[in-house]
Amino acid sequence: MTLFLQAVADGLQMGLLYALVAVGLTIIWGLMEMINFAHGEFMMLGMFGAWGLSVSLGWDPLVSMVPLAVIMYGAGVLVYRLLMRRVQRGEIFTQIFATVGLFFFIQNGAVAVFTSDYRFVEKSWLTGLSGAHITLGDVRIGVPLLVGGLIALALFLILYLLIDRTDFGLALQATSEDRDAAMLVGIRPQRMYAVAWGLGTALVAIAGVILANFFAVYPQAGLSFTVLAYAIVALGGFGSILGTLMAALVVGVVQSVTAAYLPPAFKDAFVFGSYILIGLLRPQGLFGRF
Amino acid sequence: MRIHRIITVIGAAIGVLSLVALSGSSAVRAQAPVSEVLIGELLPLTGNFASLGQQYLWAGQTVEDIVNNDYPDLKVPLGPGKGFPGLGGAKMTLVVRDDQSRGDQARTLAEQLITVNKVHWLNGEGTSGNTSIIQPLVESYGIPMSCHPCASPTLTEKGFKWFWRTGPNDSVMVASVFQFLKEWPAHGGPTTLKTIALFTCDNLFCQDNRKIAADLAEKSGFKIVADLTTKTGATTLASEVQRLQSANPDVLFYVQYPAETTVFQADAKRAGFMPKVIATSNGAYSDQTWLNAQKANNGAAAWLGRDPTAIDLASRKPSWKQVNDIYKKYSRGQDMGELSMREITGLLWMADTINRAKSVEPAALAKAANETNMTPDVMIIDYKGIKFNQNRQNELATGVVTQVGWDNEKHTIWPWELAKQAGFKTIFPAPGWQERDSKK
Amino acid sequence: MAASSPPGRAGRAQQVAWVLAALVAILYPIPFEQSGYVYYETVGFLVLLNAMLGIGWNIIGGWAGQFDFGPNIFFATGAYTAALLSIHFGWNAWLALLGAVVVSVIICAAVTYPITRLRGHYFAIATVAMWMIAQPIGATWELINGSRGLFLPVATGGGFVHGMLTMEFAGRGKGLGFYYLALVLFALTVWGARAAERSKLGFYFRAVRDDQEGAEGIGIDSRLYKVIARCLMAAIFAAGGVLYCFWALAVFPDQVLEVNWNILPMMAAVVGGLGRLWGPVLGSIILIPISQLMTATLGAGPLAGRGIDLIIYGAVIMLIAGWRPNGLLSLPWERWAARLLGRAPAQPVKS
Repeated sequence: MTLFLQAVADGLQMGLLYALVAVGLTIIWGLMEMINFAHGEFMMLGMFGAWGLSVSLGWDPLVSMVPLAVIMYGAGVLVYRLLMRRVQRGEIFTQIFATVGLFFFIQNGAVAVFTSDYRFVEKSWLTGLSGAHITLGDVRIGVPLLVGGLIALALFLILYLLIDRTDFGLALQATSEDRDAAMLVGIRPQRMYAVAWGLGTALVAIAGVILANFFAVYPQAGLSFTVLAYAIVALGGFGSILGTLMAALVVGVVQSVTAAYLPPAFKDAFVFGSYILIGLLRPQGLFGRF
Repeated sequence: MRIHRIITVIGAAIGVLSLVALSGSSAVRAQAPVSEVLIGELLPLTGNFASLGQQYLWAGQTVEDIVNNDYPDLKVPLGPGKGFPGLGGAKMTLVVRDDQSRGDQARTLAEQLITVNKVHWLNGEGTSGNTSIIQPLVESYGIPMSCHPCASPTLTEKGFKWFWRTGPNDSVMVASVFQFLKEWPAHGGPTTLKTIALFTCDNLFCQDNRKIAADLAEKSGFKIVADLTTKTGATTLASEVQRLQSANPDVLFYVQYPAETTVFQADAKRAGFMPKVIATSNGAYSDQTWLNAQKANNGAAAWLGRDPTAIDLASRKPSWKQVNDIYKKYSRGQDMGELSMREITGLLWMADTINRAKSVEPAALAKAANETNMTPDVMIIDYKGIKFNQNRQNELATGVVTQVGWDNEKHTIWPWELAKQAGFKTIFPAPGWQERDSKK
Repeated sequence: MAASSPPGRAGRAQQVAWVLAALVAILYPIPFEQSGYVYYETVGFLVLLNAMLGIGWNIIGGWAGQFDFGPNIFFATGAYTAALLSIHFGWNAWLALLGAVVVSVIICAAVTYPITRLRGHYFAIATVAMWMIAQPIGATWELINGSRGLFLPVATGGGFVHGMLTMEFAGRGKGLGFYYLALVLFALTVWGARAAERSKLGFYFRAVRDDQEGAEGIGIDSRLYKVIARCLMAAIFAAGGVLYCFWALAVFPDQVLEVNWNILPMMAAVVGGLGRLWGPVLGSIILIPISQLMTATLGAGPLAGRGIDLIIYGAVIMLIAGWRPNGLLSLPWERWAARLLGRAPAQPVKS
């Protein structure tokens, strides 16, 4: 029983981090129906940003989170203005392949600048906490990951409030539901799309900054997280922020529990298998709108 | 379709097939003396294995430097003097290609290197899987090929006549570790090690090791209490660590890459899991960047694994330090890791072979290669020598077993004669996480 | 869509173009064989293989309009089935090809039918899910030797004709032999796809793509036709996998399930023009030589290891996508050709 409870606790913790990685994708996807193949590369850039600032200026990643978020927001807007806006008028597949080009460009750009060596953030507040844990009964909850997860949750809450309670967020929702109607009330869709890209990129970069405390930083680091992110976004329902959080927790727990009892090499496979099963029962995802 | 269109196409097809049937073999290689020996370097410089490929590239650049420039005091083949004396001072030129860690790209670029660039020797690919894809191709063209750090035993078990390997394969390497474990009790080691757990990633390299270890573990009298294969690129290993913890092995046989090892360490620390012995076979243990990162928190203390040379005794060999200095020019200051050492040794052997052959004709090269009898005094590595068996595998490729100490350096602990010289007291049991933190 | 040969001078011009193209395709490797630059034959092989896969993907992606991001699982089933049949039962390669196609189509039908309930992006993720599930199966299943791979025996003799019959080319005949094998399979694929496009199947696929509810309204079973479209793709991918298997002589799970076997055919289709029969061919002819050229120049020498060639490759893709979002076939080729030849365009530009 302890094994099970510990696995659930571990899964929930990872789920919070997965949620932060995935939420940027759901915003872009939900608003513009664009699949961003290069999503993981922005996370990787966030990781390198955190590492770089930690090594050169000694900034703790939690501190550099703020300037990096701003920079990556700008990068997202730039990507939209220069590239994605042009491909919006074409086939959906062209949009996807524009992001494939972006993927090659960014990942290998990182290889060119940083090389493929593994980098590690060695001194930060969170790594300093490593080993500290809270014990609930027989279950151990590591403090660093918990803190990371709580930061992710806080950001989620802020995002939710932003989308649901502010005028700007309502404008974003309106554009996604009916672009032409939104235009009629004076909302400029192009601006919304640019902001969505900026937000999406910034969020996943922040996720990267947090993750840099725990994971090796290298150009190919984006892949393992983002593959799960696509499943999470689809499971939660495209465009649903709450859905992303719920789905991420489900994915984290499924991954963790299956690894505890079944061959661990299949743990992601079980996550995807669950997606298919749930998808067959509820084709629009847990909280999807259509 | 119109009839005459069909006829035209069929006629063309017949014409072509006759041409094909009648055409002779492709262009004959030039016989004139060469001024440049072309060495094809086919490496994974981007993609999943990029961190390995870049080390091999640096190794290649190091050997190119050694061969082409005069290092009068360097006691390795072709150290002193410029170029290949046996070829009238011809220089060595690397022709580098990146296959993006993809097998189809490796095979295609191998064909490019051979038929377009006309390399005299193909070195690569660096990983066993992709190397086995290019072997049949190179065999059909009949030029020499080598992959020194490729560890899969199957590469030299298929009877290829144009593939040489100076480095040891996984069977030998894993056997060293188990040999050490078996002899340890008689040399002051613990007598209580009974159970073992295998913890490996799911790709070719890890699985090869796992198969061999499972076999050797049984033969050595260990009871396998857990055998977990994890997903390469895992984002968390918490449940796997839990399972290992409840299996409670005395020895953990651990084969994972640096990224997954970072995850494992964090999860193990949180769970308070530390077996008495962590025995590895390459992977993270061979990665300099991972090792350097362990200094901050003693994460690697007491980990043991196989290494090609007694690094702590390297001062016995001034050539090791000299080569390392040259290597650091290309590696942005990184020391030679054990993979680079194997590659450099192999490439220097290749240069020596070309020199002895006094020709770049494949037949001459093959003859010189097969006749190799290199002695340890000209190598930077602790092989007993280089001499090939009939499968063109170096039979004298051995190595040592090292353990990481509290100083975050690797120390030789086996074979026993070298261990005595190194004067390092093995750490047993592996220290717990709190102990590691307290000694930071 | 693609009409039969239009009458008159434009029709004649088209026929001449086809014959010329066929001649070029057939004669292409000869000069390289003579000069010894076999590598270019292999580039041709890769172009044909990816064009074939692109045409296959176009059936589900372009005609039926379903986002399939995991076609490479059938490439893998094809390669493994053929490898097993060849190694364990000694089957001839062409028989193994047949077996591989049959097995892949059966698997495709079985796994695709359930997920046709899903629409749009959800379907897309389901195809990715299948790919993710296939990976650990490939890596750990003992029957196919898991990550350690399956190896096919290397041919020791036999000439060109023997090679065409067994897909085994000894010695240096590999480059030429596999080029012609790929050409044969490519031609078969084009012929089959053309037949499908002009038949009722093609019509049903496009109906499902353009308006699924409307199609169902007139009695078209959209789920059935999605499955059929995907199975046609699976058959082609399986054939490609068999070709790969005999070409590489080794089948590793991470190699046959590699992401590029998904990306390249799709990109070829998109770059060339989605939904058009010859789109993937054009895309493949453009993309593969560009990437090969860049690997050899920018990925080599002093810039090696910095991924410069892939950076430029990515930039080129983004440029093509941004400049020509509807694919390169949407450029007014006929008008340009007519202007070049000094004639007024004989037919209005086709869609």
